[in-house]
Amino acid sequence: MAAAMAEPVPELPRLWQEAAALAGAVRGALGPRGGRALLLRPTGEAVPTRDGRRLLEALRLEPPAARVMAARACSHRAATGDGAKSFVVLLAAVLGGLRAAGGGAGLRRALRAFEAQVLERAAARGLRRHWRTAPPGLPEARLEALLEPYLAGRLGPGERRRLARLCAELCRRCAPTAAARPEALRLLARRFAALHAAVPGLPLASSTILPGIVLRRDFAAYCPAEGELRALLVTEPLQPALTAPGVEFVVDSEGQYEASLRWITRRTEALVKHLQSNSVKLLLSSTKQDELVIYYAQLYGVSVVECLLSEEMALISEITGVSPYAPFGDDMYREITETAVASFCQPLLLGSKRCVHIGFTSVCAFQPHCLILCGPVDGVNEQHAAALQEAFTMLQQLFKTVDQRGECKAEGESQNKASDVCSWDSSPTQKQIVVENISCNSNQVSECQLKALSDETETKILAPDKSSSLVDKQKSYSTAVLACNADTVTACELLDVGKGLEKTCCNIVPFKQEESCVGIAQDHSSSLIEAGSVLPVGGYFEILLHYYIQYYAKQCQQSEVAVVSNVVADALLSIPKALYRTTELDSFTKFYLKAVNSLRKNQPLPGNKEGLESVYCKYQLVVSVLHCVTELLSIDLIIGIKQPVQKIEDHDSEDDF
Amino acid sequence: MSRLEAKKPPLFISEPLTKDTVCQSLLLLSRIFKSSYGPAGRLKQLHNGVGGCVCTTSQSSALLRHLSVSSPVLRVLTASVQNHVSRCSDCGLFTAILCCSLIENFRSLNVAPCTVIKITKNLLSLCTDYLKSEACGCRVSVDFSSVETLVCLVRSVLTSKPACMLNKTEVEHLTTLVLKAFLFTVPCHVETNAVLGKCVIIPVKGRRVMDSTVLPGLLIETPEIQLGKPLAVKRTGSSMIKIALFCASMSGDSFSPEEGTIAVRHGTSLEMSELNQLLNVGKQLVHDGVGLVVCQKVIHPALKQYLKENHVMAVDRAGLSLMEPLSRMTGSKPVASIHSLSPGCYGSLKDVSIERVASKHFVHLIPGDTVICSLILCNRSETAWDELKRVCETAEHVLQLTMKEPLALLGGGCTETHLASYIRYKSSSLSTSTFQDLGCSQTQYQLVADGFCRSLESVARSLNHDGGEILTDMVYGHCWFVPSGLPSVSNWSDVVSKCGCGINGNTEDLSWRILEGQSCSPVIQGCPKEPSVKVTDFLTLDCFAAKCSGLQVALETANLVLDLSYVIEDQN
Repeated sequence: MAAAMAEPVPELPRLWQEAAALAGAVRGALGPRGGRALLLRPTGEAVPTRDGRRLLEALRLEPPAARVMAARACSHRAATGDGAKSFVVLLAAVLGGLRAAGGGAGLRRALRAFEAQVLERAAARGLRRHWRTAPPGLPEARLEALLEPYLAGRLGPGERRRLARLCAELCRRCAPTAAARPEALRLLARRFAALHAAVPGLPLASSTILPGIVLRRDFAAYCPAEGELRALLVTEPLQPALTAPGVEFVVDSEGQYEASLRWITRRTEALVKHLQSNSVKLLLSSTKQDELVIYYAQLYGVSVVECLLSEEMALISEITGVSPYAPFGDDMYREITETAVASFCQPLLLGSKRCVHIGFTSVCAFQPHCLILCGPVDGVNEQHAAALQEAFTMLQQLFKTVDQRGECKAEGESQNKASDVCSWDSSPTQKQIVVENISCNSNQVSECQLKALSDETETKILAPDKSSSLVDKQKSYSTAVLACNADTVTACELLDVGKGLEKTCCNIVPFKQEESCVGIAQDHSSSLIEAGSVLPVGGYFEILLHYYIQYYAKQCQQSEVAVVSNVVADALLSIPKALYRTTELDSFTKFYLKAVNSLRKNQPLPGNKEGLESVYCKYQLVVSVLHCVTELLSIDLIIGIKQPVQKIEDHDSEDDF
Repeated sequence: MSRLEAKKPPLFISEPLTKDTVCQSLLLLSRIFKSSYGPAGRLKQLHNGVGGCVCTTSQSSALLRHLSVSSPVLRVLTASVQNHVSRCSDCGLFTAILCCSLIENFRSLNVAPCTVIKITKNLLSLCTDYLKSEACGCRVSVDFSSVETLVCLVRSVLTSKPACMLNKTEVEHLTTLVLKAFLFTVPCHVETNAVLGKCVIIPVKGRRVMDSTVLPGLLIETPEIQLGKPLAVKRTGSSMIKIALFCASMSGDSFSPEEGTIAVRHGTSLEMSELNQLLNVGKQLVHDGVGLVVCQKVIHPALKQYLKENHVMAVDRAGLSLMEPLSRMTGSKPVASIHSLSPGCYGSLKDVSIERVASKHFVHLIPGDTVICSLILCNRSETAWDELKRVCETAEHVLQLTMKEPLALLGGGCTETHLASYIRYKSSSLSTSTFQDLGCSQTQYQLVADGFCRSLESVARSLNHDGGEILTDMVYGHCWFVPSGLPSVSNWSDVVSKCGCGINGNTEDLSWRILEGQSCSPVIQGCPKEPSVKVTDFLTLDCFAAKCSGLQVALETANLVLDLSYVIEDQN
């Protein structure tokens, strides 16, 4: 056993092979030039997809290590809404690099040190110079710039622009004010199933956005009503039943039976009449109602929609703040107070299907709108809907930050605790985090202020005529922060002084001298990656990180950390390589050389594309991959003990540890 | 715990379009569609080889419903065409042929699929912008104040399906009927939200097509009514007939609960109780002056007898499908319980009569002012009737779509060739910035545009099944057919008389060229012109909405198929 444990190295090539096979399976669907896969379910359904999670699931992997890889890729995607395919490609490249470097437990330990000593520095000090910050309200142009590249990785080339427009339009209409956007994105991501309807057989160009919500079933009873109307939610049948499952109704005489039936009829009529007298014009029921209820509803001018799905009921409750009505209380005739208000309620023909279209008046900031997705086949609509839903998840990630964990002194054992602080939610817990940051970093703050002063003088030397405009810019930056979140202002004001300057400094003269680079490198702020940081799309993140990892690896004394740094830095390039795969042969090399040359000369990057991507998501990807590699290399030991592979399923691997 | 049976690993096929089996299936599918297209299309006989009825058809909806396609890639194509047909009814074969030939043409190009898709998207927007612009030379506006263009539209639909086996007079007769039925469904008094009515088709097989007719109102088949007896129906003061509509069963056996149990003491009869209640309902109906009772389900004979004695006509087994038009036509609310009758639930009718069609007897409910009508459709054989029914439904749907968008496209292949020459002209004069935006070279763009135009032209060429030549002119870009069997001539103007849609005659020299399949057609100097003379009768016209949608769906589907880089098949 001990001998087996001491030989984990032969497993690395196998891990790498499995990862490479997985990467080979998803690489074809990666990036804007990737193709689609057609998944055939056992039921005969054909679903086109480019979603990494679905692809990995469809492969039904057998080897346990590959299953772990796929599971980690999927959980990363579930958290950030993006990146399952890149995850696998990067993972394969890192494993390949480690294998080439000889593997060994030393490298595995060095992975952790690398993360703390090199990766975080590269992100905080290197990458920082290049990213831009999206304003909290997400203006529509910025929204499209983020959505289009995201959808480019998920949809066919002919569909992405139209859908990005639709998606941005939907965000704008659901949240007309910038303050309502986070709430709207949250609702859209969570309730998208009830906020869209698909029509197969029509071209994509027929897709549209309708105000209100669309229920995909016909009216059970429809009574046209003008103007605003009150709607009631119910979850049980309104007609009292004679018997129920397990209940026996004993008939003594014909008279008794007739009287019971008459009572049921009268009671139902009275109930519907009661609705009418409370001016309820629309009944929304999650269960099927008896024909008698429908009949009386028609007579008393109440429209009825039955069999609402639970998610539709939940959505309606959420946007109107109304809970379902229980008719069988002690007093049937009490006033009905909990009604939703709808500005209209009408039939809608979607394709050849009759639907119900209701314009609810929202009690929250979210203005309900429904996306009508058209496509030639159901599978395409399904693909579009899934991509859009995850796009909303991705947009939510944009405003998360990665906190820097103290100083880089903590080696080895320090786990990456990238606590997600969403700067939008001004919840008490978040306040606390901010306060803590201030208190514990008070030394840093003063240090930072000092640094700011020195930086300011430095920039004055660099560009003396522009110093006033610099200060202006810095001010406007602070006020922007002020406007976005009053709770964090104190912290931001204190911490962002140096940062603001640094940014402006970079904008004008991107670190011309080595000094300035070092000067900034000592700058500390509360977060590693700020909320709303974005970079141009198309491999820039990877090349920048590659460059800065190499830069900071040179300062590192440990040789094994340096080896790992080189492995990760080279592995990062596998993503842009895969992106440029289908174009001309040497296009990646050209792109790489151009980017690295301008980095060396401190020139702005040759970014001409309008698309943007979230730095948070990308950084998380790298961190997750490194964790996965660490995990795989650790698990490797356990697998090494078991001789036959089949036994793994029989024993609980934890027991042997 | 995990299941013991071994799961099969999924089948992973990369680059499915390069596989031979897929190519052959595509070719076969394309041949089936092409040979069925148009008024001269060849019929397909579908049968399962172990008996059962044989379906003779040339319609995409019927063909696709019965064909089973094994290749998953092509299943996407057929599903897409079927979806298109269920949305628009018309232009199914157009969509199918175009989609197949787009895939065939683009697959053989040595251009990356991603680039092809971007370019075709651009070409499609050129097409749709042109079709929607006023300058479009291949569309005509439909004037609803006269019937001429509407007649052309309906006639084109009826003649495009030869399996209906109609002669010229029959086509004219049915055209009139379909148009009449459509006009019945348009409401006379339009409020804010006008909703079209419904035309119910009544099947009568084994009779001449000329026996078909259209009646306002609804027909309910009643086997037991005797002819000859005068109908004695009670009328209200304003000489209207009061009608009560029941959706609840009136057979007296509705006491069985859905859940739970009912225990009945000895000597108690629920049947008697139900019957008593039914007779009470009868009494109230008579008291309220109701003249006609229609029940969706069965009426108890005793109640029927009671109603008859009191001069109330009773019709039962109307069926669920008739309930909605009945309710709309009479304004009555279907009663769901025999325990309560509100006076508000009654509706009214102008008259009731008995109709006899072939061997069947019908009660004819005649409303005062209606949007509901019945089309009694006759055809000689079962399979020809099925085909005719689908065609009539298509024609009605085409009229409805045209009402929403009062435009029509020139048929007979002219729209296709005109669009192709427009795209050839346009794509030769694009600026370099367009190519930069698309990320392609001018050569690539030209290659894809040419493939696109050839696909459009191949649809026009599919109209010809008799081996004659197909020409296109260099002025209007229309499509001309040369009858087969003529000796080769030097001057095309000697052999052609009218273009495919019938709008252009052989009056001037239009410099005809043969519409070639493979080689590049010459680019005309300038945009194809709009026809100068506006003939309005005997044109072949296609539904604008259906064809535009079909064009886009065909292209999107072709793009989807071209974009597939692998297939993962779950074999469990």
